[in-house]
Amino acid sequence: MDIVKNIVKVNFFRDSLQLMQLSEEVKKMDGVLDAAIVMGTATNKEILEKLNLLTDEGKKATSNDLILAIRTRDESLLPKIISTVEDMLMKPLTSLQPSLDRAYYTIESALEALPDTNLAVISIPGQYVKEVALKILERGIHIHLFSDHVPIEDEVELKKYASERGLLVLGPGAGTSIINGKAIAFANKVRRGPIGIVAAAGTGLQEVSVILDRVGLGVSQGLGVGGNDVKESVGGIMTLDCIKYLEEDEETKSIMVISKPPDESVLKKIIRFIEEETRKPYVLCFLGVKKYTPPKRLAKRIHSFRTLHSAVLDMIKLTDPERFKDSKAKISLKLSELKKLCNMLSKNLKPNQRYLRALYTGGTLMYESLLIYREIIGKDVYSNAPLDPRYKLEDSYKSYMHSVIDLGEEEFTAGRAHPMIDPTIRKIRLIEEAKDPEVAVITMDFVLGYGAHPDPVGAMQEAIIEAKRLAEKDSRNIIIMGHVCGTEADPQNSSIQEEKLKSLGVTIFPTNALMAFASALVAKRCKISDEKLKKAYKVFLDV
Amino acid sequence: MSDKVKKLFREEPKIVNIGLEIFYSSLKDQGIEVVQVNWQPPPSIEKRLKEKLDKIL
Repeated sequence: MDIVKNIVKVNFFRDSLQLMQLSEEVKKMDGVLDAAIVMGTATNKEILEKLNLLTDEGKKATSNDLILAIRTRDESLLPKIISTVEDMLMKPLTSLQPSLDRAYYTIESALEALPDTNLAVISIPGQYVKEVALKILERGIHIHLFSDHVPIEDEVELKKYASERGLLVLGPGAGTSIINGKAIAFANKVRRGPIGIVAAAGTGLQEVSVILDRVGLGVSQGLGVGGNDVKESVGGIMTLDCIKYLEEDEETKSIMVISKPPDESVLKKIIRFIEEETRKPYVLCFLGVKKYTPPKRLAKRIHSFRTLHSAVLDMIKLTDPERFKDSKAKISLKLSELKKLCNMLSKNLKPNQRYLRALYTGGTLMYESLLIYREIIGKDVYSNAPLDPRYKLEDSYKSYMHSVIDLGEEEFTAGRAHPMIDPTIRKIRLIEEAKDPEVAVITMDFVLGYGAHPDPVGAMQEAIIEAKRLAEKDSRNIIIMGHVCGTEADPQNSSIQEEKLKSLGVTIFPTNALMAFASALVAKRCKISDEKLKKAYKVFLDV
Repeated sequence: MSDKVKKLFREEPKIVNIGLEIFYSSLKDQGIEVVQVNWQPPPSIEKRLKEKLDKIL
């Protein structure tokens, strides 16, 4: 019989990435059937419970305590396993990271070692950011600020300080930047080229740069400013600075500005600036706000779209008009082709299989899909981060009717690594969705690039097979769709990841919007008026 | 354009990574010159003392 043991180490902290690596090591140990080492946050306890790894002892842990949870079949092995794990926990942190030759403990000593530093990447708890960031800015160094939960007044102070001195503060909460072709934090290896991108939407920047790469186009600079920058309290300080810098940059020939919904006053400010102070061609995508129409005299130079997909198509048309038709064919499907594919996929569904479930790791991708679902399926699409608060899921861990989940939201990440790195939470969720007899289609994004899981599809493989097996056992067919957001040059190689998905019977799509559109068609069995469908296609998938 | 930004857009990035080591590794993998700072939060007692000192001074 299996034995589950929890050991709680009170007031013992390790960061979620270190614990994830350690958990993987422990799982490989002799006699261990399953293991997880986590901080005792509510999220983590919920996950241990779902993995049948939580005991009464573990339930008592608080978020300051560490839980070591092990399942074994041989109780006599437990003392040895536990003492080995305790030794591993006591080792210096750097021993887990073989590529680290040397670490510094103060910023001053690090900067002495690398005197011409021009960028700092900061990922420390938000409340400590200001002090550290000011030290960096005082030395004339730009910042990519990954940290979340930076107090808004600190963000404003840092950005004003930087702006006055001609420095960049990319973030807080900036998941992605591409500087001179190099991927900073979570970013993909994309070609260099003439297109500059300013983004207040992390996975949005990844999606756009990756699609451009797929058709042979490249990025000059990709500057992630963090979602708060377009809120009234920050006022678009860095968005405007970055637009200005790209406008002056000789290598940048045209510019994309993409963002999750900005506050109205900031949106107006950004648009006014682009209309009056710039000369280069612009493609804008402010997700979730009423489409902006530029004045007639600027209609040729400034374009605006409602999805990342359409915005990228337009940028391709602008940059490389001669190859537009071929490029479009690489990243899109005609409406007739989409309908044909969805009819074919839906053929073996039972009549009561009518719901879709979308399991996202990328927040902007999830948001883009919600906009499409609202148009094709209707308002009643539930989510943990819905467009309309009336459709907020009562329990983020339980889907209801059509449900679209952002697994990167706080309730899933407290004390855990992001699901782009740690697939555990999505594996559990996929199995749960597959058990629901009313589910027709499940969609997933697989975000590649530096910082992400070394094999995101491989990590989900077992769960995908199990999901299909569960449905089959119940004499159902379940459709699984996937979108790989990555390039062939990424460490994970997008082609290899896509091939793996195909071999698992997953239908893949070159863009997220296309996947969302297709899954909505399957859920609706294509029973939507032609007029409505054509209109939605034009708005979301065409230029 | 500010000289600092112009330089950043022209030169190879040279980076100090403060915090998560995963970013150090992925920067290093791209051949970027990078140094790691294993940042630790200041001890709370020091913070309280500092506040008191700030008041006195």
